Amino acid sequence: MASELFVVGLSHHSAPVEVRERLAVPAEQLPDAIRRLLAASELEGGVLISTCNRVEVVTYTQDPKRTAARITEHLNQRSTPHVVDGYVYQRVGDEAVRHLFRVAAGLDSMVLGEPQILGQVKAAYACASEAGVVTSLVSRWFSRAFAVAKRVRTETGVASGHVSVSSIACDLAEKIFGDLTDRRVLLVGAGKMSEVAARSLAARGAKLFVVNRSPERAESLAKACGGTPRPLEALATEINEADVVISSTANPGFVITYELMQGVTKTRRHRPLFIIDIAVPRDVDPRVGTLNNVFVYDMDDLKEVAQTNLSLRKREVQRAEAIVETEVALFTQWMNSLQLTPTIVALRERFREVVMAELERTTTRLSNMTDKDRQMLNAMAEAMVNKLLHGPLAELKRANESADDAEVIAVARRLFQLGDPDATSASVSLTDAEFTPAGSGSGSRS
Amino acid sequence: MTTPLFLLTVALYVVSSTLSFLHLSKGDAGTGRVAAQSLAAAITTHTAFLFADHLATGRGFLNDIHQTLAILSLLTAIGFLVAMRSRRLRSLAAFVTPVILLIFLGAGIKLSVGSVPRQVESLLLPVHIGVNVLGIVAFALASAVAAAYLIQERLLRARKISGVFQRLPALDVLDSLGLRLVTIGFPLFTVGVVTGSVWAARMGGLSFSTGQGFAVLAWACFAVVLIARLASGWRGRRAAIGTMFGFLCAMAALLGYVLRDIGST
Repeated sequence: MASELFVVGLSHHSAPVEVRERLAVPAEQLPDAIRRLLAASELEGGVLISTCNRVEVVTYTQDPKRTAARITEHLNQRSTPHVVDGYVYQRVGDEAVRHLFRVAAGLDSMVLGEPQILGQVKAAYACASEAGVVTSLVSRWFSRAFAVAKRVRTETGVASGHVSVSSIACDLAEKIFGDLTDRRVLLVGAGKMSEVAARSLAARGAKLFVVNRSPERAESLAKACGGTPRPLEALATEINEADVVISSTANPGFVITYELMQGVTKTRRHRPLFIIDIAVPRDVDPRVGTLNNVFVYDMDDLKEVAQTNLSLRKREVQRAEAIVETEVALFTQWMNSLQLTPTIVALRERFREVVMAELERTTTRLSNMTDKDRQMLNAMAEAMVNKLLHGPLAELKRANESADDAEVIAVARRLFQLGDPDATSASVSLTDAEFTPAGSGSGSRS
Repeated sequence: MTTPLFLLTVALYVVSSTLSFLHLSKGDAGTGRVAAQSLAAAITTHTAFLFADHLATGRGFLNDIHQTLAILSLLTAIGFLVAMRSRRLRSLAAFVTPVILLIFLGAGIKLSVGSVPRQVESLLLPVHIGVNVLGIVAFALASAVAAAYLIQERLLRARKISGVFQRLPALDVLDSLGLRLVTIGFPLFTVGVVTGSVWAARMGGLSFSTGQGFAVLAWACFAVVLIARLASGWRGRRAAIGTMFGFLCAMAALLGYVLRDIGST
């Protein structure tokens, strides 16, 4: 049975933040997590993508149903007390290809076209590579996904304008405070998104302060953003002084608690405070948003904002989706050729073997044969093989472009006694067949 | 007082209010432009109406509560038209023009221009009415800004941040503007309340009416809002609600005088 490309997981489309935050895997634990997950699911290769908005396993399997059940069971163990069954989706074959391409291009993101997701997918791939679970097929698939994402970004305007979570957060801050010049912005944690948001706010004149568990990380982020590092112990004091707080720590519990904020609001003299919680699991107790003059937006809230921008970008989305569709077709065609290539190779070898054996037996009986005669006979034998195979190979290639390719290939293998396809396909096709779709560059990783 | 000029002015304020509301909800720039033009036209007919009334009666502009309301609404309209030069304040027209319309309608309740009896005329009267008018203009604008603040805050908390939210000014801008307007209006209104009391005492002792009661309540309300804002940094929703409540009391005081005036006619 041939392997199918397969994606199983959940995202902001299917699961609420309460479920996603339980499943999110910190970056440093990703290699170990993917290794354990693949072992538990009896899979040889794959990548675990874990961001604030999605937890997905990108792999290939001969039995998608069984694999989905095992991965869901694994996720259920992590998500206690929540049951993820109702939130998990599966994508098989070209649907899986399309899904990964769309994810990498930011077309499946909460904020359409956001650039961070490509970096996160690349980081997930690097973690899988570090864990030693990136096979040739997975490598080719991801390489193509990165190339598709690049195409979408350069050939469409889907990534232009304020579409990222950080930009939306900055716009919201401006709608609360008006001018952001000299406003104090406190970054709690040092996530990638908070760094991007910090840069946007600094560009609008805000003063930045960074609080982090690691003083070194706080120092380096502050230096990178032109801000000032502060110790974690000064969190309450810093919130008291701040106008905007952006929190994105990897802490499993609330960092900004209701009790902390009750104390802080007493000394703030009713100054408005905008808290952006872009951490998953959430850093800010939801009750903090009920306090007077305190406005809290978490990832799901920003999702709502993102939706309003969707209609404005419909045209660009359509163009981006068209690129994805073209790439999916090319990749699927290449995938199909992976099933065909070993059969063609085996068929050609079988014919050559028979013809050459007969030629050898005949030539040994002939006397007075020169090297030139021998070369001529060899050329004739090659031509015979090619002519005999021309019809069957043409038919196989035609079948490869239609839906009944697997059936035709199976018949051919049976007729010519070519043996088990899986014995040859993995070694031959995945390592030797290059993905070079016409007009879109090489399939090497970008 | 319900002359054709009065009716035309009311019609223009209604048109301006409706278009301002449409501009706020739909965001169409053309509608906003026509709303501003309607307001300018209303100000013109409003001024013409006041002069026509002055010529018809031969009396000053601040002798009577109805004339006072007409002046008050005109000054509010002119003040806001000037403020509309700032692009970020333009969307507040949807809140300010209905307030102007309501005050102006108060001027037209009575069929003829009433006047203060000659025996109670005093130099204090124009001062009393003048400062009260300016004070309430400031409060009217502060109240409109407070209403915008409350809507803006509600939209932000409800995560409905497209459309109206994008067109209204930033929360902090509204809050600061509200504070500035109350800070301007409060001393004027205070002088108005004091001169009113002195004038009433001179005219035959302090008799407590419903209108006066509301005036004192409005003054107390704005005093609390202002002191809380300046002393303990009070701001946001509570300050906006306090401002609106104070303005409602001031309007109730005005209504009290209007009804008393009708009763005495």
